[in-house]
Amino acid sequence: MAFMRKKNRVSGEIPTSSMADIAFLLLIFFLVTTVFDEEKGLSIVLPEPQETVEVSQKNVLHLIVRADGIVEVKRGESPSVQPVRPQEIETIWRVEVGQNPNLIAAVKTYPDAPYRNMIAVLDQLHKAGADRISLQIME
Amino acid sequence: MIQGGLKRKSKANSEIPSSSLADMAFLLLIFFMVSTTFPKEKPRRLPFPEAEATKKIDEPRKNILHVWLEKDGSVYINDVRVPMSDISGIVAPIYDQTDRKLVVSLRADRDVPYQFVDAVTKELQEAHAVRVTFHTNLEQRVTRERR
Repeated sequence: MAFMRKKNRVSGEIPTSSMADIAFLLLIFFLVTTVFDEEKGLSIVLPEPQETVEVSQKNVLHLIVRADGIVEVKRGESPSVQPVRPQEIETIWRVEVGQNPNLIAAVKTYPDAPYRNMIAVLDQLHKAGADRISLQIME
Repeated sequence: MIQGGLKRKSKANSEIPSSSLADMAFLLLIFFMVSTTFPKEKPRRLPFPEAEATKKIDEPRKNILHVWLEKDGSVYINDVRVPMSDISGIVAPIYDQTDRKLVVSLRADRDVPYQFVDAVTKELQEAHAVRVTFHTNLEQRVTRERR
């Protein structure tokens, strides 16, 4: 009987029951702390340097972006200026490009105008599917 | 009779086998650790403009260069402040390294005066980096209508 009592009753195995908890805790920690930096925006291709293309004035729709956010629409050679809100440009572009498929949008921004006003116009042009866009600064 | 009754007792283990749970969890953990890429530069919290036509850039991350433009007109490339006139000199070698596939993501403050944006795009043109994306946040139509 004394011989039987000497037998070691402590388990020789490493306790692994909490291992899954530890691993899942780490996993959830990394999942929560990860932030994804998304690459997104409005894409445009700038002209190569010294690449100037002569465009007939009748194929140009001037969009002059003012500092107060109002956009002045000027059609080609016509001296008349139509002040509009940026939200209206999508419709204007669709109407104009329907009449002249070769139309080019010339976005001219005043130097002191905030960047977001120009983006608002560019956004409308992208929404309307315009691909011939020229970005200029008002001098 | 008593012995027969004892034999009916179920000998199947009633516990859910959890010994492989740790292996599964570590496998997931290691997968996420390996597949995570860390941004090269420290994040700058700029208020970006909003646009409804915001699209994801379909270009591998190694071909994208971030150019940060702050409200006061200061430009940062790879966490270093760069004078406006030096941009083309810095971007040109990167453009060559990326096999002329470079896309510049211009991350500008929404209130920066346009003259600085124009100066940056002129410098990028000089470096032949003509594929430019103006970084914007997606504007939700609902919030726009509410205004």
